[in-house]
Amino acid sequence: MTAASVPQAPAGPARLPLVGSIRLLRLELRRSIMLWLLPVIAALFWLITYRSAMSNPPMWNIRAMSMQTSILAVFVPTIVGAAAWLGSREARHGLTDLLSGTARTRWVRQLATWAATTCWALVAYLGCVAVLYTVTARQATWGGPLWWPVAVGAASLPASAALGFVAGTARPSRFTAPVVAVTAFLALEITANFIHGDNSPWQVSPLVAGPWEIGPDQGVATFYPYLRDLPIVQLMFLAGLSVALLAMLGLPAGSGSRRMRWFAAALTTGGVLATVAATALAGTGRLDPHGMIAIPALHRASSDRPVPYTPVCADTKIPVCLHPAYAVHLPTVVAALDSVLGELAGLPGAPVRIEQAAASYQQESPNGVRIGRSGKVMSGNPPTLHLLLPMQGGRSMTVGELSSALRTETAHDIVNSVIGGDRRDLSPAQQAVLDAILKTSTLRPGTPAATAAQRLAALPPAARHAWLTQHVAALRAGQIALADLP
Amino acid sequence: MNVVTADLTRRFGRTVAVAGVTLDAGPGVVGLLGPNGAGKTSLLRVLATVIPPSSGRIRLLGQDPGSYRQRRQIRRRLGYVPQNLGFYPGFTVVEFVEYFALLKEVPPAVVHRAVASAVERVDLGDKAKAKLRTLSGGMLRRVGIAQAIVNEPELLLLDEPTAGLDPEQRVAFRALLRDLGQRATVIVSTHLVEDVGAACGRVSLMDKGRIVFQGTPDELTARGEGTAAAGDAPLERGYSAVLAAARS
Repeated sequence: MTAASVPQAPAGPARLPLVGSIRLLRLELRRSIMLWLLPVIAALFWLITYRSAMSNPPMWNIRAMSMQTSILAVFVPTIVGAAAWLGSREARHGLTDLLSGTARTRWVRQLATWAATTCWALVAYLGCVAVLYTVTARQATWGGPLWWPVAVGAASLPASAALGFVAGTARPSRFTAPVVAVTAFLALEITANFIHGDNSPWQVSPLVAGPWEIGPDQGVATFYPYLRDLPIVQLMFLAGLSVALLAMLGLPAGSGSRRMRWFAAALTTGGVLATVAATALAGTGRLDPHGMIAIPALHRASSDRPVPYTPVCADTKIPVCLHPAYAVHLPTVVAALDSVLGELAGLPGAPVRIEQAAASYQQESPNGVRIGRSGKVMSGNPPTLHLLLPMQGGRSMTVGELSSALRTETAHDIVNSVIGGDRRDLSPAQQAVLDAILKTSTLRPGTPAATAAQRLAALPPAARHAWLTQHVAALRAGQIALADLP
Repeated sequence: MNVVTADLTRRFGRTVAVAGVTLDAGPGVVGLLGPNGAGKTSLLRVLATVIPPSSGRIRLLGQDPGSYRQRRQIRRRLGYVPQNLGFYPGFTVVEFVEYFALLKEVPPAVVHRAVASAVERVDLGDKAKAKLRTLSGGMLRRVGIAQAIVNEPELLLLDEPTAGLDPEQRVAFRALLRDLGQRATVIVSTHLVEDVGAACGRVSLMDKGRIVFQGTPDELTARGEGTAAAGDAPLERGYSAVLAAARS
C-alpha cells in the first residue's frame, strides 16, 4: 500500500448525476445475472414458444397471438427470479451498511439494478420475437407483423422485473428467487383459469391475446383488424404495476429525500390507480363479432371495417377464392372439393364462385363461444357461395385433418346448399343425391334411399350431370321422390 | 473539527450501545480501542451515517447528518470500511471500486483516475481485473479500503481494517493511514494496539458504550506504568489499566 501519488480529490458533488447514473447502469449491465440466463431463455423459448408457434400455420395472427401467451410462460418466471436474486443481493452479500453510507439515494441505486435486468430481458425478448417473426415473414402469404402482442409481452418484462425486485428487497434470502419464480409461473397459469366470458376482469392478464375460451384462432384479425382495445388495457395495467412497484422501493425511510419519498408515494398511488382502472376496463369487455375482445370505452368504429384484400383463386370448374392469408391451404381445398365442384358446376342455382367468408363469433353463457358464418350461405345473382373453412371454427388442424373435414363437412354444405336449399332436414331423394355426389355412404345399406344413391352414383358423370341440370330445381323444392331418380 | 459529538447515544431496544459519547476529532488518525461489545462498531455506524443516533448532538465535516441534504454532502466526503465487509463476487476489483465511486457521486470525468489511484494505493494494481471471488481475505480487505478512499474522503471510518492483513500489508497500511491522516480525519476501530501505537496520533478507549479515555498513545502507555495491568507491551498495559480503572 502506497502513501504517495495521491490525486487531487474528486470529492465534490457530481455535477452530472445523469451521467453517473448511466455509468452505474452500464456497470450493472456488465455484471447482471441475466447474462447467464440468456442461454436458458433461448433454450426455453425454442422448446416452449418457437416449436409451438411453428406448429401453427404461417399466419401472422395465430403466430403472434400464440407467441404472446407462451413466451410469457418462459420470460415471466425467469425475469421475476433473476430480479428477486438481484433485489436481495445487497443483504445476501452483507453490503447493506456499506451501501447505506453512500451519497446516491438507495432508490436510484435500486433502479439501476432493476433497469439492467429489464434491459437484458428486453434484448432477449426482442431477439426471440425477431426470430419468430423473421421465420413467419418468410412463410406467411399475407399481412404483416402484429405489434400489439409484442408490446404487451415487452411491457410484461419491466413489471415482472419490478415484482421480483420488490420481493427480493423485502425478503432478502437465497430462497426468495426460486420461490417467487415458481409463484409467478403458478399465478400466471392459475389466474388465467379465472377467466369466464368476455367481460372477465382477469383478461387484463398479459397472457390473454384474445377470447380465452378459444385461444389463438385463425379466424381472428384476418378479415378485420387486430383490435387494440385489450392490449391498451393490458399495457395500462402493466405500466401501472411497474410504476407502483418501483415507486414502492422509494417509500421506506432512507430511500431518498422527503420530497423524493413524497414523489414515490404519488407515483405508487398513480400506479395503483392505473392498475385498478385497467382491471375495471377489462371487465367491461365484450366479444365482438370478429372474434376479438372490444372495450367499449376504447373502441374505435374504424376498427370494425374489414381489411381490404385481393383473394387468391383456383381455376376449378367453380372458382374457389380464399383470403390470401389462407393461400397455403388452397391446394388442399382444391384437391378435396374438385370432384364435387365438377358435379355442381353449371347446374341451375349452383354458385358460380366460392368465396371464403369471415367467421362470426358470439359469446355464449357462461364461457362458451359460438363460431359460425355470418349471413347466408349463398348470395347475389349469379350466386356466390360463402365458404367457411373448417379451421375458422377455432380448431387447429393438420393438412390431413383439413382435407378430411373439407371432403365431409364443407363438401356436404356446398352440395346441400345446391340441392337442399341449405335445409337440414333433407328428403330421402335429396339425401340420396347428396350421397351420390359426395360418393359417401351415410344411408343405411339396403334401404330404398341407399339403393337409389348407388344407382345414381353408378351413372356416367355426364348422364348424372344432365339429369341434375334438368331436375335440380324440383329436387331443391322437394318435388322429386326416390322413385324419380334415374 | 471534522467530528463533533456531544452526549451521543444509540440504543437498540433496551440495549444502550453508545452511551453519551462526547468526541471531537480534527485531521489526523484516531484509534478507537475497546473490548468486544464496547460500542465501537455502533459508534462508527452512527458516524458513517448508516444509523441515526437515538439522542445527542452530532456534526460531521461541519454539517448536520440529521438533514437529508447535509447528510448527502457528508457522504460524498466520507469513507467507511465496516467490520463485516461484503462484496459482489462477480465484480472485478476495478468494477467494485468504480461502483462505490459512482455511488459516492465522484464526478464521472475523474472516476477512472480515482479508481485507478485507489487500487494502486492498496497495492492491487496487478489484480485490478480479477474477480473478487478469486481474491484472498486480505486482498478483499484491501479492496474494501480502496472503495473507502476512492473519493479522497475527509472523514475515513475504518472498523477493524487490518483484520486478515499479513504483517507486511499491515505495515504498508499504517503508512497509508498516516498519509491519509495528513489531511483527513481517520478513525480506526481496532483490537490491535500495536496498530494504534504505530499509526495513531490520538486514542479513544471505549467500554460499555462510554469513552473512558482520550489522549495520545503515549498518555495511554503512561497509564499502565507502575501498575500490575495485564499486557505484553506498554500500550497494552495502559489499555488494561484504563479499563480496570473504569470498571472499578
